[in-house]
Amino acid sequence: MPNMLLKASINPYLKARFSTVQIVMLDVVIALLPLVYVAWLAYGMMALQVIGVAVAAAMLADVIFSLIFLGKKDTLLDGSAVVTGLLLAFTLSPATPLYIVVFGSFSAILFGKIVWGGLGKNRFNPALVGREFMSVFFASTMSSSGIWKNNDLINTSSLHLFENSDTVLSNYLEGIFFKTSGALGEYSAICLVLGGVYLMLRNRISWHIPLSLLGALMLMLWLFGNDDVSFSTGGVLLGAIFMATDMPSSPTTKYGKLYYGMMIGITIYIFIIGGCRQEYMSYAILMMNGFSHQISLLFQPRVWGQKIDRKAKLEDVFMLTLKILAVSSAILTLYYYELIHYLVYIFVIYLIFKFNYSFSKQVDNTI
Amino acid sequence: MLLIPSLKSKTKKSEVGQIADPEDFYIPLDGYRNVMTPLVEIGNQVEKYQLLAACDGLFAASIHAPVSGIVKGTFNLNGKQFLHLQNDFRNRETLAAVIAMEEITQEQFAERLFEYGIEGAGGSRFPTGLKFKKNETPIKTIIVNGAECEPYLSADYALMKHHTAELLRAAVLIKKVLGAEQIVFAIEKQNKELEKLLLRSARENEVKINVKILPDSYPQGGELQVIKSVTGKELKKGSIPAQHGILVNNVGTLWSIYNAFFHSRPTIERIVTISGNRCANTGNYKVKIGTPIAHLLRETGNEWNPDEQMIILGGAMMGKAVSSPLLPIHKGSGGLLVMQKLRLESDNCIKCGACVDVCPQKLMPLEFVRFNQSGNTASLKDFNLLDCIECGACAYVCPSDVPLMENIFRGKDKLLKNA
Ligand code: SF4
Ligand code: SF4
Repeated sequence: MPNMLLKASINPYLKARFSTVQIVMLDVVIALLPLVYVAWLAYGMMALQVIGVAVAAAMLADVIFSLIFLGKKDTLLDGSAVVTGLLLAFTLSPATPLYIVVFGSFSAILFGKIVWGGLGKNRFNPALVGREFMSVFFASTMSSSGIWKNNDLINTSSLHLFENSDTVLSNYLEGIFFKTSGALGEYSAICLVLGGVYLMLRNRISWHIPLSLLGALMLMLWLFGNDDVSFSTGGVLLGAIFMATDMPSSPTTKYGKLYYGMMIGITIYIFIIGGCRQEYMSYAILMMNGFSHQISLLFQPRVWGQKIDRKAKLEDVFMLTLKILAVSSAILTLYYYELIHYLVYIFVIYLIFKFNYSFSKQVDNTI
Repeated sequence: MLLIPSLKSKTKKSEVGQIADPEDFYIPLDGYRNVMTPLVEIGNQVEKYQLLAACDGLFAASIHAPVSGIVKGTFNLNGKQFLHLQNDFRNRETLAAVIAMEEITQEQFAERLFEYGIEGAGGSRFPTGLKFKKNETPIKTIIVNGAECEPYLSADYALMKHHTAELLRAAVLIKKVLGAEQIVFAIEKQNKELEKLLLRSARENEVKINVKILPDSYPQGGELQVIKSVTGKELKKGSIPAQHGILVNNVGTLWSIYNAFFHSRPTIERIVTISGNRCANTGNYKVKIGTPIAHLLRETGNEWNPDEQMIILGGAMMGKAVSSPLLPIHKGSGGLLVMQKLRLESDNCIKCGACVDVCPQKLMPLEFVRFNQSGNTASLKDFNLLDCIECGACAYVCPSDVPLMENIFRGKDKLLKNA
């Protein structure tokens, strides 16, 4: 490609050390490892099987589909398939049948990443795309109480970190460290937060999205009451720290990230009170993924030495907010009438069409 | 904000060496947006400091003989004109009369700067005389830009360390000519030890200066960035500092001014840092303008091996890779680097936003790539591509090595052609 040959003759001639896609991905994997450990504590080999199968299938899918659709051989080296596999597994029940897990990983890679043109080009979070495909195509299994009410499968039910004290506080603290309910990635709020802190220290994610997301959600709960709102703390943390911050599908600008996180927080609340029991997190993030590029551009930084027209900006932001709220009510309506799967079908058709007509032609573009 | 680990330690401690004069000088006949016409002919004997070429017009520049010798002719290399001067090693000099500085006016001062061939030593090569043209707003603050943010370079540092008193004298002269209120030396935190030196020297010479310590971030040395750090004013790219009562001069320029006004010597040499991650002998050297790179490499025991190395004129961030060892040092070259070749492939942009975070001009570099590739020049303009200062910070951090600078340069070309 002509783009690349020039590189040797154009400044800068120095590169930041330890700044490659692989190292970025490695950092995410490191941040996620404690969660793998906790999942193993909770459900033993069973948890490891789901995680392992998800990761292996994602890597396999990446190799196969990259070769077929993108004509590229070395995509595995970038490490993003591992991250997708791990994140996907973390949204699943430890009792999910393994063939469904394989299906999920394959759809995550194919429809979440490859047909968009590969690494970095996807507009939606691949792990969540995979998860939605699983919920749509294996609806009954995925929501059956059979796989979610699995107390009998628990390996270690509590850690007893605070010996011989049974106060409310120690129970609460223990709950933060370890709580065996929900999906594989949700068992330890502390490990989730630690992973997030690690990524922030390594400059892989910024605090903007997680904090504004959690802040907005808290604010909604506080403003409009939280009596009949039940959600999983672990799930929300997993989403806020690892899913919503996924680089390709979230905004690139600081203020954009703040707004984006905030709107996810608000839509989560809307979906929860609207009656979504399990999928509120995925819906909110996937929906906002769709707006992320627009948000990046709308919230671009103030150019050095320039003034901005605050009034016009505010109007734009207001209109965008209305649009987002309208789309979230539309999604809620679809959910209510059990029509979400049509959305997924349309998504697939759209992607196939787009891939044939434009995405496949831009595979070699870096942007 | 971008922090680049400093690589100055390689040369910071070194004394300022002198590079032996080469036999052949290739004097650049281009300057800031202009070309100079030779005033000598083939076969002419010239003396050191003699005027060799000049141009007229607004961005006028002139250049003087670095040594005495014989004019061998002109030649063209990479589209640029050079004058070949052969050294006769006899060192015959011609110097103008010493200038009476007591009653010099601002206009005369500016005029002299042109005559002595003084250009911005920070790399821009902007004719310094233009900054001294009369202007409605009086200059209040003179900023001496000692923020050498390029990671390998320490030429300005060496000047400030070894020629403190001379720089102060030049600064005081400028202050007097302009009737300015204050002189501020702007240095980076990593060079903090200079503060004591500068203040002590100022006390001894009974002049009043301020020293402002700037952060080590890149690109702190850019004119707009220095002005912001020192005065708090954020000037848009393209605005003229003088209209805000500010004058910024690089320390290298100040050194030239000192030589011109206190010794009647036109600019014929400058300090160059020779360094880089593949450089055999690093150091700071006084080098005559027109000295071919090949000579410098030879004198410092380096080889020219284009298969493995890149030779860069300037700094690692904003310098230019040279295509021929015959190319010479010019008045804006603060460094000569021998660097390891970089990898050539790019990955896809992962939208990490790092390039947006580090851009000093607060632009969105990744979008420039998108707009340039789709040929959307209107958006390139709307997203302020022309405000880019080409500092390379975005490309430095990009984990995917997206060809950001290539697209920025091409995008700018398109915009300038359309305009
Ligand atoms: S080169 Fe231009 S776009 Fe890139 S960081 Fe510097 S000013 Fe910003
Ligand atoms: S730094 Fe590189 S990978 Fe990151 S957003 Fe910018 S262009 Fe894309």
